[in-house]
This record gives sequence, C-alpha cells and structure tokens, in this order.
Amino acid sequence: MSGSGAAKPNLVALALKAVLVAGAYYVAARLGLRVALIERNVTPLWPPTGIAVVAFLLLGRGVWPGVAVAALLVNLPITPSPWAAVATAAGNTLAPFVAAELLRRVDFRIEIDRLRDAVAIVSAALFGMLISATVGAWTLQLSDVISSERFASAWAVWWTGDTMGVLVVAPFLMSLLLLRPKGRASWSRAAEATALFAALAVVSVVVMRSHHSLLFLVLPLLGWAAWRFQLRGVAPAALLAAGVATWAAAHGWGPFAGGTLSGKMLTLQAFNATVAFTSLVFAALVAERMRAREALVRSARELEERVRQRTAQLRQRSRQLDEAQQVARIGSWEWLIEEDRVSWSDEMYRIYGHTPQEFPVNFEKAVEQVLPQDLERIRRNVTDALSSARDQALPATEYRIVRPDGTERVLLGKSRLHVAEDGRPFRLVGTVQDITEEKQAEREHRIAETLQRSLLPEHLPEIPGVAVAARYVPATKYVEVGGDWYDVILLPNGRLGVAIGDVAGHGLRAASTMGQLRMALRAYATVEESPAMVVERLGRLSLTLGVSEMATLVYLVFDPDSCFVTFANAGHPPPLLIPESGPAAYLEEGLSPPMGAGSDVEGAEATVQLVPGSTLFLFTDGLIERRDRSLRDGMSELRRAASPAGPDLEEFCDYLLSSLVEGEVADDIAILAFRPVPLGGRPLHFRIPAEPRALAPLRHSLRRWLREIGAGPEETHEILVAIGEACANAIQHPYGAKDGVIDLDLATEGGVADVTVRDGGNWRSISPPGGGHGLLLMRGMMDSVEVKSEAGGTAVRMRRRLRGEVAGERAGTR
Amino acid sequence: MSGLAHVDAERRGDLCVLHIRGEVDISNARDLAIEIEAAILNGTPRIAIDLAETTYLDSAGVQLLFLLADRLKVRRHELRLIVPEGSPIRAVLELTNLPKIVPMEPQLDEVP
Repeated sequence: MSGSGAAKPNLVALALKAVLVAGAYYVAARLGLRVALIERNVTPLWPPTGIAVVAFLLLGRGVWPGVAVAALLVNLPITPSPWAAVATAAGNTLAPFVAAELLRRVDFRIEIDRLRDAVAIVSAALFGMLISATVGAWTLQLSDVISSERFASAWAVWWTGDTMGVLVVAPFLMSLLLLRPKGRASWSRAAEATALFAALAVVSVVVMRSHHSLLFLVLPLLGWAAWRFQLRGVAPAALLAAGVATWAAAHGWGPFAGGTLSGKMLTLQAFNATVAFTSLVFAALVAERMRAREALVRSARELEERVRQRTAQLRQRSRQLDEAQQVARIGSWEWLIEEDRVSWSDEMYRIYGHTPQEFPVNFEKAVEQVLPQDLERIRRNVTDALSSARDQALPATEYRIVRPDGTERVLLGKSRLHVAEDGRPFRLVGTVQDITEEKQAEREHRIAETLQRSLLPEHLPEIPGVAVAARYVPATKYVEVGGDWYDVILLPNGRLGVAIGDVAGHGLRAASTMGQLRMALRAYATVEESPAMVVERLGRLSLTLGVSEMATLVYLVFDPDSCFVTFANAGHPPPLLIPESGPAAYLEEGLSPPMGAGSDVEGAEATVQLVPGSTLFLFTDGLIERRDRSLRDGMSELRRAASPAGPDLEEFCDYLLSSLVEGEVADDIAILAFRPVPLGGRPLHFRIPAEPRALAPLRHSLRRWLREIGAGPEETHEILVAIGEACANAIQHPYGAKDGVIDLDLATEGGVADVTVRDGGNWRSISPPGGGHGLLLMRGMMDSVEVKSEAGGTAVRMRRRLRGEVAGERAGTR
Repeated sequence: MSGLAHVDAERRGDLCVLHIRGEVDISNARDLAIEIEAAILNGTPRIAIDLAETTYLDSAGVQLLFLLADRLKVRRHELRLIVPEGSPIRAVLELTNLPKIVPMEPQLDEVP
C-alpha cells in the first residue's frame, strides 16, 4: 500500500515532466521546420534535439515517452506514411537519449566551465546524432521522398542540423538554468550584456543582409560574450547568431542568395559549427581560468587570514611571555655567536636597569655591568663551552651586576650552547633570574638560624643524678626562624635552673630578643634563688630594654637532692608532670602574665616534688599547635601521648616529636624533659669543667651519692674534701686540665668508696705559697691515695672504707 | 643543702665575731678574705672567726685562715676560731695543724 502510495506521486511527476518535455519539443520542432531546407522535414538547425538532451540530462531517462510522442506528432504530418513517422520518431528519441547517456558517463557538468565539458558535449552531439540522421535519411529514401542521389546530402543536413540543435540549443537552455542563482547582476553588467546583444543582433542582421561574405565578423562579439559572461552570455549569443544565420540561409539572404543547396548548407553548417564550437570551448577555457584565479585569490585570502591570526597569536604569546618574565623576574637572551649579536627580552633590560630595547646588545655590552670578580668566571665558562664544540648546558652561575643607578643585584644565569652540524658553535641561549631578594632573605634566615642555634646550649650540662634531654626543631617551611629557646643552668648551690621560652615573631629581631632574655635569665638565676623573683626581674628588664615582642617563659629550679621543683610560668604552656605510672598532669600554678605585655610583672611560683621515676616535660606551643586542632585539644593529645615516658628520655623526646608533629613543621619547636635518677649502687661518671665554680655543684651531687651509699656526715665531709683537693689541684695548674674538663669515676665495692679523679695534665707538687695542704688533706682523709701520671694526664685514685661512724670519731683516732 | 659561704660580722664590745656560714672552697676563698678584712677594718682588738655554721672547708679555706692569722699577728690582733665538737670541718683543721697557731674553741661562750 505504502509502496504504491509512494510511487504514485513520482509517476504523476514523471508524467507531468514528460508532458512538459513533449510540449517544448513540439513547439521547438514547429519552429525548426520553418527553416527546413530539404522538403519539409530536413532542417539545418533542429532545436528539439537540444531540448531532448537537456530533458534527459536534467529530468532523467523516464521522460523518453514525452520525447517519443512529441517526435511522432511532429513527424506524422510531414512523413508520407505512419510507419515512416514512427521510425523517424524512434531515431529522434534514441539520438538525444544516447547523447545524454554518453555525457552522463563522462561526468558532464551543465555549467560547461571546463574544457572537457565543452569537448564532451561536442563529441556526444556529433556521435549521438549519427543515429537520428541515419534513421531519418533512410526513412525518407525508403518512402521515396528523396532519391538515392540525394541521400548523402539529406543525411548530412539531418546530422548537422541535429548536431547544431544540440550544440546551440542545449547550452542555451543550460545557461538559462544558470541565470537563476546569479540573478543579481550589477547594473554595469546588465548594461554590458544589453550592449553586447544589441551589437550582436545588429551585426548578425547586417552580415546576413550583406552580399559580401562577412560572416566572421560575428566571432569577436562571441569572444566578448565568452570572455565577459562565459556560458551564460555565449550560449544565447551563439543561439542568436546561429538562428539568424539559419534564418538567412532558409530565406536565401545575403551570403546564401546564390549557389547550390549543398553550397548553402556547407556555408551555414560551417558557420554554425564554428560559432557553437568556438563559443563553448572559449567560454569553458575562460571559466576554467577564472576559477583557477578565484581559487588562487581565495587561497591567498585564506593564507592572509591565517597569517593575521598567527601574528595576533604570536603577539599575544610574546606579551604573555614578557608578563611571565616580569612576574618571575626572569629575563631571556640569545647570543648569535658569529654575528656577535645578543637579543635581550624586555625583562633583561629591566633587570639590568634599563628601559626595554633601549640599545642593541653584543657580548661585551651584555657583560659590561657584571662585577669584575664574577665576569672572569663567566668568561671562563663560555670559553670552555665554546672550545668543547658540542651542545651543552653551561654551569649555572650566580653573579652580581651594578645597575646604572649604582645598586647591586644578584643574578642567577643559566644557559645552553647550540652547535651547528659541522661542530661550529653558533648560538648561546639562556635565562637570567634576579635573585637579589631571595639571597637577602636567605642570608637573613641563615644569620637568624645561626644566631638562634648559637644561643641554644650546645650540649646540656651533665648533672649527676639528673637525666635531661632536649630538642629544637626549626620550622621546615622557608620562613624565618622563630624565637623558641631553652636553657639548663647549673646553679652555684648545686641546683639546676631549667628554662624554656618563646619570643613572639620571627627572624633576627625575635632571635636577638631571645638571646637577650636568655643571657639575662642566666645572670638573674645565679643571684636569685626564687624563680618568681627571676621572672619578675626579667619582666622588669624587658620593660627597660624596650622589648616590644611578647615573650613567654617557664623557669624552674630543681633540687636534685630533695627532688623539689619550684616553678614560675610567665604566660607559657604549663609544664607537664608525668608520673612513672598513671595519668600525666599539667602544672597550672605559678602563673604570671607574659613579658613584654607592657606592665610590670609580679612573679608567682609554686613547688612540687618529683617522686622517683617521674618526669617533667617542658615545651613550646609549636609542638601542639596545628591548624586543624585547638590548643586545648593539642594539650590533651600531648598529655595522652606523654604517658608513660619510658626509661630513655632521648627516645621519649623523639617519640613525642614524631607522634605529635606531622609533615611540615609550621612553627619552630623546643622541648625539654628531665627527671631525677638514683646515683647509688652503680659506678658513676661525672665530667665537670675545670673551673672553681664547678666544685660547689659537684659537692652537691657527691653528697647525694655519698648519702645513698651509706656514708656518715663526717665521712661525707672528709671524702668531699679529698675529692675537692684533687679537683682543685687540676683546676689551679696552668696546664692542668686538658680540654678544660675533669673526669670523676665513683664506685663502691665491699663497703669501700673508690674515687678516681682524672685530668689531662701533669701532676705537680702541691705547694702553693702559704701552705700546700692539698695532698696532706687527701692522704689524711682517705685510706689510700695513688697518683698516677700517664701520657694522657694524671689520675688520682683514692679509697676509703665506709663505717657510717659518728662525727669526730675518725679524727680522734689519728 | 648549703650554698657558698658568706660572712656576717657581729660586734660584742671589743670583740668582733665573724660568722662564716656556708661552704668555703677555691671559688670563694679570696672573696671571703677580702670580706673578712673589710669587717676587721672597723677596728676591734679581739677577733673570733665562728666556723660553727661552715659546712665545707678545704685547703683553700685553711690557707685563708693561715694568711689571716699572719696578718692579724702583725697588726697585734688577737684571733681565735670557734669550732664546735663534732663539726665536720674539725678534721681538716686538725690535720693541717692550724689549732697550734690559732687557738680553737668549741663555742663562742668560752671566749672571754
């Protein structure tokens, strides 16, 4: 159903087309017959064939019935018998059909704008019309319309007539189709076309009316039409010229007035053929040429457009590059070695203190501003690279230049040498970065870091009976150093002063403030026993010094003998007390405001006792401060992580750092942990500085040890005097203690105290002016005294059996 | 617990009592000598050095006392030491024979 439904409109359309074609064919045939030369049916120009060829080409093969019926209708009245008419009609249908098929085969274009199209339509017409001419001429002869002698001329007229019909009419019809899309011609074109056709009409008529053979005068006008309008102009012109000529021939005008029929025919057909062929070929050539030119123009325009876009792109890139160079303060340059021409980017000029592209540059000009001591290095690098003759990156060089305004800049230069295939170095390219500010910052950072490191104790004092561990971790980010610090001070009374503090801010100022506070604390700690007083005096000092930075601090005094800790806290995170087992607790007493807060600080202090096994931990806020965690949460986390502290304080510090600090250290961190450790029962080693002030703290430690090993009060004093004399001897000798230290080894075995005092120097006789009682006292106080001088120093070994006797007993027995 | 010694001077009529409280060693013996001399300059014929609260005394202290005795002898001062029975420093003084040069008494009361 749907198939037939769909087919129906097509059939109807086809039938309509066929009827249309038949009508056109019939009208054209009637016109053509009016110029018949032989009888009534052989014409020198047969337009219907042209119509039929165009119909087959454009409307399809299906229109053949229209052509056939029209041809039959045309021929019926002018042929003697119906069958002759049928035969003629068949020939007249078949000829254009074959011609159209041939054209279709060679991919013919109705624009006829290629030479091959012109050749194709001429060939197809000539070949196809052989059919109609042969069929038609034979039919005429068989039906006795013409005699056999006239067969040849009839055939020739038929053939040429049909051929001309195709060559003159078909292009004209095609040109009409082409007028449609390009209908909007300019006025000048229209005027030109009008003039052309007027001239052609006049010339044609004049030529045909003249008795002279002036037919060729038409040709320049056809050339004009072909040149200016191509097929659209030349096809109508050819039709006009051929039509006028045919009309003239049929009516015996001018050139056709006399002569035989074949003579007339020859002249007419030669003229028509010349007109048709020349017009088509010339128009096709011109069209082809114009198309080529158009293509050229188009591609030139495209090229131009691409160049414009590309230029804009490049300009944008170069602007971006310049901006990027400005932001990064990196300039780039290229040195064409053989021409000694250097091109600098705009930023290069700016870095060197000039306006961009201010002057041309060559090698000497480029290095003109470099400081002489750096220039030598640059020249050496360049010379080395050039002589090695291979592609390579030159060593990155840091160098200084002086700008025209006298300022010095530090630059980092990187470059690469390019060598031609023959090994000739031809190009050196590179970048220059202005790193002045970075160098400055780096220098300040280094100074501040060095300063801070130098202000932190290089090594903690060894205090017998006290284990101490501390860490300082600078911020990992490339920021300035902070003002965190700690200190452990051996006090003259044998106690231990411990401080940890934090100066707000960073950099040199913070580091130097921290240095001042630390020194001041050391000074106050030796004269003030009370931590609260030390903090108070520090606060007062920082006011008078005009320290603007806020500084927090915990200062405590630890007595290793009693294990009492007295602490004062000026606005610092509280110390954490970690018992051997059980939860840790912050010591939140002894509080006073931070220093540098602008007002006089009134110190406060509190005291706790460190029971054996417990640890006191001090820290700065860098340890617990993290962006994703509040300070209070950080403190809770620290309290959980710190308990239990474990036997080794060094490990304990490392553990806390690794478990609380993740990744980058945003702020610097100082931590310190200490705890009392028992002295007795195992060999002890003390190392003290060979200085008089070290003796009192030493006695303090020794008293504790002696008490722990069971010495009585008098024994304790006497052993202390003996050890004191041995140490004093090492201290007083100008070349006594090597490296400025004294080593003491203490042990007990079988109730005998065994003490060895070593120094790096040589023993000397003990006889200072006013009484050399040292050795006498040592011998008097101890059971045995051995002095051994070794290569590495002198060792004094003293032993005494302990009795734990009451005071005075021993002296009495002497 | 004891710190380094300091000197407290006390005047009882024509007697000057110098209490040396704390420890005496090479680190402070010279300073103590100066302090003692300064206290004596105020001028009293009799001088008592009270070592009852001296918690430590070594050869530097002994030497200090010897030198002091020499100097006071030249200036015709009368010097004596107060050292209680059972004092830990007694052994040191006795070993160096200081009591043979400077009279030594167990307590201040016995000084006439």
